[in-house]
Amino acid sequence: MSTAMNFSAKSFTPRPPDKGAFPLDHFGECSAFKERFMECLRQSGYESAACRHSAMAYLECRMDRQLMANEPLEKLGFKDLISEKSEEKPEKS
Amino acid sequence: MALCGPAWARYAHGLRLGALPRPGLCGARGVRGSNPFTRQQEEEWRRRNRSAVGYIAAAAVGMVGLSYAAVPLYRLYCQATGLGGTAGTGSDGERIERMEPVRDRLIRVTFNADTHASIQWNFRPQQSEIYVVPGETALAFYKAKNPTDKPIIGISTYNVVPFEAGQYFNKIQCFCFEEQRLNPQEEVDMPVFFYIDPEFAEDPKMAKVDLITLSYTFFEAKEGQKLPLPGYQ
Repeated sequence: MSTAMNFSAKSFTPRPPDKGAFPLDHFGECSAFKERFMECLRQSGYESAACRHSAMAYLECRMDRQLMANEPLEKLGFKDLISEKSEEKPEKS
Repeated sequence: MALCGPAWARYAHGLRLGALPRPGLCGARGVRGSNPFTRQQEEEWRRRNRSAVGYIAAAAVGMVGLSYAAVPLYRLYCQATGLGGTAGTGSDGERIERMEPVRDRLIRVTFNADTHASIQWNFRPQQSEIYVVPGETALAFYKAKNPTDKPIIGISTYNVVPFEAGQYFNKIQCFCFEEQRLNPQEEVDMPVFFYIDPEFAEDPKMAKVDLITLSYTFFEAKEGQKLPLPGYQ
């Protein structure tokens, strides 16, 4: 697909991921979260914005079980969801 | 008839030729006799010619030196301005934290999974497509199963079509370029966490692009085999 013989056309150079590779979830510890996320996707017509809560839950599960480097969720693009959560908490209590 | 000296000058002038050097036949005086320029002027010219040659030689050497210097300079320029898809310094957590989703550009990302002929995994995406907006992080899943009774180590690479959109497609974390080992009869979920750069919405070349295809291909990693991975160790 990206043979280097066409000098005029731009070719694609793959880039390594920013934070490296996910370790494999061999024991299926976060499969329940994944199923919830996939179910949400199917129901919302595969719209990513509607299922960000489930995505955040899945990533939190990975971080809890050492399947992902611990990172504050704001740095992963969930800043608005975090501020929603912190708004809800003082309301509830 | 041998015309020499002033006679030759008149002859040449009569033919509307102006000053014409007359070679050979005029005896000892020859061409020199009709040379109107003094020795001093000739020497002046020779000196100026030499310095001109010196300047030209210096310019040529300068050009060669510039062409060598251009390589690192251009690399610096590309990194600073991010032209040509070079990853800019600063693509990390702060950038993701600060980026705002561009709500009016909905992009459909379709997923494709391939395996090289020699690897016996069953590898497929768990969703055929997902709708994202630039500036918002998204999660997607692939699934891989090893149906054999031997552990197999795979390594993957990816591709993004259209190529020009590939420079805006940033993966925060995925499963590519590292060896992944699957035990016999094991099935795992492989997530891809990515986002499309908000600058995608500002690129005039991307104005008509609303479909991006992400394609992963798995190869079998054999012992001692080094795959040409893009600067990732």
